[in-house]
Formats: sequence, structure tokens, C-alpha cells
Amino acid sequence: MNIIAYILYLLLIGMHAVIWKDVTSIFDVVINLPACLVLLVALYKDEVPVTWFGFLAGLVAAAGAPDRMGWYALLMAVLALAGCFVRERLNLDSLKAKLLLVLGGVFVHNVGSLIISGTDGLFILLGTSALTGAVYTTLIAWLFFLFKEGKLTVEKLKSIF
Amino acid sequence: MRWISNLFSRYWRNVHFISVLLLSLILILGGGQVTGFTSGVVSAVFYAPFSLIKNTVVALATVNTDNERLQQALVEASAKVVQLEEMERENARLRAILGFTPPENYTLIPAEVVSVSGDHVSLAALINRGTRDSVEIDQPLINEQGLIGRVVSVSPLSATVQLLTDPTARVAVRIADSREMGIVKYQVGTGMILDNFPIQGSIKEGDLILSSGLGGIYPPGLVVGTVIAVERPEEEPFCRVRLQPAANFNSLEELFVLRVHGP
Repeated sequence: MNIIAYILYLLLIGMHAVIWKDVTSIFDVVINLPACLVLLVALYKDEVPVTWFGFLAGLVAAAGAPDRMGWYALLMAVLALAGCFVRERLNLDSLKAKLLLVLGGVFVHNVGSLIISGTDGLFILLGTSALTGAVYTTLIAWLFFLFKEGKLTVEKLKSIF
Repeated sequence: MRWISNLFSRYWRNVHFISVLLLSLILILGGGQVTGFTSGVVSAVFYAPFSLIKNTVVALATVNTDNERLQQALVEASAKVVQLEEMERENARLRAILGFTPPENYTLIPAEVVSVSGDHVSLAALINRGTRDSVEIDQPLINEQGLIGRVVSVSPLSATVQLLTDPTARVAVRIADSREMGIVKYQVGTGMILDNFPIQGSIKEGDLILSSGLGGIYPPGLVVGTVIAVERPEEEPFCRVRLQPAANFNSLEELFVLRVHGP
């Protein structure tokens, strides 16, 4: 994958943060697109570009909170590396396994973000925000996999509607 | 040198991760200047274009809302202007009426026209005064322009007025200059005429026609109209005299019922 694709992913994260994050949120449950993208890239790419992409994705996602930018970038880089590690050690060919990785990875990232931001009521937010956000994000990842594997096409969507 | 290359390739991954770790540490420990600069650069590159798009869309939406609000305000203001213009016209009419004095022994009962009936010509008008306001049948009605008609039916709160434009209405009149008399009526198609005026009578265009008071309904001296055409056919004994009514029967609004003083 050339660098332009990574830049486009980063722009997608920026666009999500500015435009889509609020629009797609449901009762304060938001899609964690940066973590989702990093994990998806980690499923298909090598460790080194994925680590850097994770770091940069963390920077872009945390541009609105400069005082915690380093922590977010590090967290995302670790998540990317962990994604690669899991992919290499485990057989992740099945859709369920991939979705489980995304679910677990996003949940861990959500928890990490809550800890970094020092939010009060962390244990309540684990259920109301971190887990629900992870499920919501996994749903988006599931749609992505369906499209990628050709199980869901524009023609099929048209036939439904 | 080779061993360095081997070492580098062997720990290639670790070098990258350590670099990332170091950069993260710089950001964590670097303080506000480093993070502020980084945040500024990242925001300018990855956020600014989308912020611009979002702001533009929001601004456009706001413009649409403002536009709708202003259009509504404009409609309301236009309606108010029309209302004020109407009030101004009413004010002018009422000012003109203020200078109007009733005939001797008569008092004025102000009334407003509620409706006017008649297809092509106004035949009758409904006014908002009735027996409760001492309005009675056969009382004449005038406005600041001249004679309008008479009351033909009355109820407690309203009365019907037969206008001079009704073809069955008749008014005994006198020419203001020559003092010659005649009967004014309205003919559909021709307009108001002075009926059966002798061909040898003294009448000319521009003569003012006043009520004579001989009919017993209309008091003398009320302006009925002005002569606009006089024809004297040789084979006929009477002139054909056309009149311009003093009152504009197409825009009747404020009228006065004339009531005789005393018992």
C-alpha cells in the first residue's frame, strides 16, 4: 500500500472527527473510527507501516486535546502493534475472529482513552460508553468486511430497498 | 560494517517501535509548546479542510433560515404597510367628513357600509346602524360628497339603504342656478339622468343638481350630481340630460343618516 492510501485514511479520521462523529453518535455512543481503521490496517499490513500509521492516527484523532496527544498516539501505536501481533500468532481468516479482534481492540482503546482523559465514573462509562462504542464500531467493521468479501454489494442493497 | 547492517535489519521492527515510543514520550514530556505546535500542524492538515466544509454548510443552512425569517418579516411588514395606507386613507376621509355640516334641523348618525348588493351597479347597501341608533325607514343618507339614498328597511342593528343608482329610486331635484325642477333617476346603461326636463328649460353642462325637498323624503339643498351632457332632440318635448352623480357609488364606506330634530 502506498503512502497516499495512508494519508487518505488519516484524512478520513480527520473528516470523521470534524463532521461524522457527532452525526453518527447515538445517545453519546460514538464510532471509534481511528481505532477501527488502525485494527483493519493491522489485519492486512506489516508491523512497521501499521505502527507508524497507528501513531499518526493517534495524533490526528487527538489533535483536539494537545495535552494528551502523546498518550493517545502511543496508545494507538501499541494497539496497531498488538493487532499485528494477534494476527500473526492466531488464525484470523474467519469473519468472526476478525470481528472479535476489532471488538476487543476498540474496547481496549476506549478504556485506555477513558483512563488517559481521567474521566470520572470510569466503571460506569466502561459499560455505557466503552463497550457500547466498541459494539457500534464493530458493526461498522462488519459492514466493511461484508463489502470487502463481496457478501454485500451495492446491487444487493438496491434490491433490498 | 556488515554486523551493523545485520543488527539493524534484525531489530528493524524494534527500531521503529522505539522511534514511535520516543516521539510519544517527546509529546508527553515536551510540554505545551511541542504539543501545541504538533496539534496546530495536524489540525491544519487533517481538520481544517473539513472544518471549512462544515462551516460552509452550516453557514448556508443559517442563510436559508435567515432568508425564510426575513421573507416572513417582509410579508408581515408589507401587510402592515397596506394596513397603514388604508388607515391613512380612512383618516383623510374622516378629516373631510369633519368639515361637513348637516342641513338645518337635521342631525347626522354616522354609519359604516357593511355590504353592497347589485351585479353591475350598486343597488342597495347594508349599514351598521338600526333602530337602536334611531334609524327609521325613509331617512336619507349622505356622505361628504353628496346624496346617497334612503333607508328602505331597518332592523335593530342594521338598515338597508336604497341607493340612487337603483333604477326604481327617484329624487325631486332643482337646478342650482336656474332653480328649475325635475326628477332624477338612474337608467341602467345610460347612468343618472334628469327625467322629463322640458326642451325649452334652462340647463347646461356643468350645472349643479340639488335636491328640491319636494318629495318629502330628501331635504332640500343636498348635492345630487352635475350635468355632463344635454341633448335637445327636435322631435321630442324633453331634453336628454345626463348627470354625473356627486357620490362615488363604487366606494361607499362612511355614510351619515340624516335624522330630523325633535318630534
